[in-house]
Amino acid sequence: MRSTSTLVRLALVASLATVTLTAQQPAVPAPVSNQDLLNGLGADGANWLTFGGNYANHRFSPLTQITPENVGKLQPQWTFQTGTLGNFETTTLVRDNVLYVTGPQNVAWAVDARSGRQIWRYRRELPPNLTACCGLVNRGFAALGDRLFMVTLDAHLLALDMKTGAIVWDATLADYTQGYAATLAPVVVKDKVIVGVAGGEYGIRGFIDAYSADTGKQAWRFYTIPGPGEPGFNSWQGDSWKIGGTGVWVTGAYDPEQNLLFYGTGNPGPDYHSASREGDNLYSCALVALDADTGKLKWHYQFTPHDVHDYDATEVPILGDLMINGQLRKTVMFANRNGFYYTLDRTTGRVLVAKPFVQTTWAKSIDAQGRPVLEPGHTPDEKGETTCPDLTGGTNFWPPSFDPRTKMFFVNAREACATFYAYKPEYVAGQRFTGGAQQVVNTRDNRPWGALRAIDPATGERKWEYAMPTPSRAGLLTTASNLLFAGDGDGNFLALDSVSGKLLWRYQMGSPLHGTSPVTYMLDGRQHLLVPAGTSLTAWALPAESR
Amino acid sequence: MRRIIAATVIVGCLAGGALVRAQAPAPTPAVPRANPLASDPAAIQAGMAMFRQRCADCHGMDARGVRGPDLTQVWASGRTDDGLFRTVRRGIPGTEMPATNLRSPDDEVWKILAYLKTLSAPTAADAPVGNVANGERVFRAQCASCHRVNGRGGRIGPELSRIGSARSRTALTRRIRGAEEEWIEGYEPVTVTTKTGQTVRGVKKNSDAFSVQVMDTRERIQGYVRSDVQTVTEAKQSAMPAFDVTRLPENDLNDVLAYMATLKGFDPAVR
Repeated sequence: MRSTSTLVRLALVASLATVTLTAQQPAVPAPVSNQDLLNGLGADGANWLTFGGNYANHRFSPLTQITPENVGKLQPQWTFQTGTLGNFETTTLVRDNVLYVTGPQNVAWAVDARSGRQIWRYRRELPPNLTACCGLVNRGFAALGDRLFMVTLDAHLLALDMKTGAIVWDATLADYTQGYAATLAPVVVKDKVIVGVAGGEYGIRGFIDAYSADTGKQAWRFYTIPGPGEPGFNSWQGDSWKIGGTGVWVTGAYDPEQNLLFYGTGNPGPDYHSASREGDNLYSCALVALDADTGKLKWHYQFTPHDVHDYDATEVPILGDLMINGQLRKTVMFANRNGFYYTLDRTTGRVLVAKPFVQTTWAKSIDAQGRPVLEPGHTPDEKGETTCPDLTGGTNFWPPSFDPRTKMFFVNAREACATFYAYKPEYVAGQRFTGGAQQVVNTRDNRPWGALRAIDPATGERKWEYAMPTPSRAGLLTTASNLLFAGDGDGNFLALDSVSGKLLWRYQMGSPLHGTSPVTYMLDGRQHLLVPAGTSLTAWALPAESR
Repeated sequence: MRRIIAATVIVGCLAGGALVRAQAPAPTPAVPRANPLASDPAAIQAGMAMFRQRCADCHGMDARGVRGPDLTQVWASGRTDDGLFRTVRRGIPGTEMPATNLRSPDDEVWKILAYLKTLSAPTAADAPVGNVANGERVFRAQCASCHRVNGRGGRIGPELSRIGSARSRTALTRRIRGAEEEWIEGYEPVTVTTKTGQTVRGVKKNSDAFSVQVMDTRERIQGYVRSDVQTVTEAKQSAMPAFDVTRLPENDLNDVLAYMATLKGFDPAVR
C-alpha cells in the first residue's frame, strides 16, 4: 500500500517535471513547407531556405538593422573552420538558429548559429579518380520537410536528415567515370528536387533532372542536347551531340505563376575546337525554360550559338518585373560570361535588352532576332587568337543580386582578355576533352581587373562601379537598408552603399570569397551576416548597444 | 600422414601467398632518376602535342599556370625528374590534378616532362664557355648586392641559387643586356611617400586596394596602409639595370654566364 502510494507520488512528480520541461522548451518549428519556399525571405528575413534567398534568386534581404551608418561597427561573433582541403562555394541555409552548409570534397555540416559549434558533420566517401573540372566544390543544400538535398562530385543526389546528417536516400544521376559530376545547389519545387550535372570538359551529354523528394525516384529528365528526331538535333554535326558537353552546374530560378524553371546551360564540348561540332549546338550556352512538373521545354534562348570560348551560360538567372518602354514586363535578368547583359521576356524568351557590361570583342551587338553580330577572326586555332572576355568571362557562376525596390541589378564583373588556342582533340571516355586552351593576357600594362557594377536592367546602362585591382569571384547580397555586400579578389570582405557604390566598410578575411555569397538572417533579435571565405565561415553582427 | 600434413601446409601457404599477392597493389616499377627522353627532339615534339591536349587547359598554353600552377619553374624550385614523374602518374589527391590514365605508357609522361623542361631549362646547345672562377668574382662585384646565391648576397632581386637549372644562356643574356624585361611578381619597383614626406624605395612584395607590402633597398620588409601614406608609385621599368658592354664587357658576361650555369641549387632532392 505504502509502496503503491510512493509510486503514485513519484509518477505525479515525474509527470509534473515533464510538463515543466515541455513548458520551458521552445516550440519545434514545423518542417520546411512548400509555402516557406514560396515565401522566400518573407517579410521578416529571419531564415534563408533556398539558394537565391527566394525562387527569383534576388539575394535581397528585407532586414534593416545593419545600415550604411552602423555597418562599420560590425563585430565578428565566431569563425568556423572546415579542416578540409578546398574552398567554400556554397550558399548557407539558415533555419531555426541552425546553419546548414556544404563544403569542398562533399563534406557538410549543421552548425549552431549562436556559437559556431558543429552539431553534425556529413562526409561522403569519394572515389579516388573523380573527373570534376574546376574544383572539388559544392554550392549548397536545398531543403524540404526535415530533409536536406545535396549533389555529389561522383554525380549522385543525396537526401540527408536535417537533425542528424544521416542519409535518407541516395540517387545516382550518372556514371562519374564517364566524366559526370555534380556541384550545384538543388532547388525544391513542389514535391520534386531539381538538379543538373557538370562535365562540359569531359564529353558528357548534359541534362537537368527532377527526383521525388520523398523517395529519390527520378520524375523526369531534360537533355540539354536534343536526341535524334528532336527539334535542335540538326544543330550538331554527325555524332558530336553524344559528347557535346552542355552541363548544368549552377542553380536556376523558378516562376510559380508560370510553373516554369529557368536554367542556364554550359559550354558545348570540345570547348575550343570549332570543326569538331559545326552548327549552333543547341541548347548549349542558353537559357532553357522548362515546365516544372514534366521537364518539357517551353522556350529557349541561346546567348552564344556555337560557342568556342568556353562561355558557359551557367550564371544565376534573376526574375523580376520591370517597366520597359512604358510597359510592365515579366523578365529574367542575366549577366552572361560572354560579356553581354540581357533582359529577356520570361514568358516568351524574347530579348528586350542586350548590352555589353564589360569589354567584349567577339560580337558587336545582339540583333533584333536576338542573334549575336559576330566580329571576324575570333575562332581559336593552333596559332591563337585574342578575345575579350577571357575564359572565366565578364562574370561567371558567382551570384548577382537584384533590389526589387529600386529595380537595380548588381553584378561582380571582370575585365580580362585571353589568347585562345584550338587543337583537334581525341575523345576518350571520362578523359578531359577541351580541344585547346587559353592564355590570359597579363602584362605590366594590361592586367585583368574587376569591378562591382550596378546596372539598370530596363536599359542595360551602368549606374555606378566600384573598381578592384584583382578580379573577384564573390557572390553578392543586398539589403533593404541600401547595403551591398561583396568581396574583392584580394580577400577583403566589402560593404558598399548600394545606391551610390561608395565603399563603407571592409575586413580582410584571409581568403577571397570563391563564388560564394554572404547570407543574412535574424538570431535572438540581432541581424547576422554569414561570410564563407576560403575554408572559414565567419558570423558578424552589431554589438548589442549599437542597434 | 605427416608428409600429407606438411604438403597441405605448403599448398596452403602458396595459395594464401598467391591470394595476398593478388590483392596487394602491383609493385611499382623503379622510376629512373633522370628523364630517359630528355633532349630527344622527337620526344619533345610529341610531348608538346600531348601537353597542349591534356595539360594546357589548366596549366596554360605556355605552362605558366591558369587554374593549375606554373610548371616552368618546377625544376628551378628543386623538383627532380623522378619526383615529377610520380606526381604526374599519381595525381594530387583532393585536387583537380588527376592520376594519369594507366593506359598511357610511361614514355608519354616522360615526353611531356621532356617538353616542359625545354620551356625553362638550359638546352644542350648551351655548352659551357667562359671562366667560372672569374664569373663568380664578377657576379659578386656586380650582381650580388641584389641577388643571393647559396646564402650570400642581397635579397631585393630574385634568389639565383638554382638559376643554372631555370634559364637558358640566351634568356639570361637577353635579360642581363636589357634586351628583354621580365615582369616578376614580388620584384616590381615601388616608391612609398609617407605623410611626413619620407620616401621609401623598394620592391613590391604584395598589395591590394588598401595596402602595399614592400622590401626596401635596405631589405626591411614592411607593410603600409594606403590611406596612411601620401602616395604609392609603381615604376613601369624593372629595378634591374641593363648591363651593356660598357658596364659588363663581353668576356665578363661569358664568365658570369658560365658561373651561373653551375648554380643548380644546394639541395636538389625535393621529391
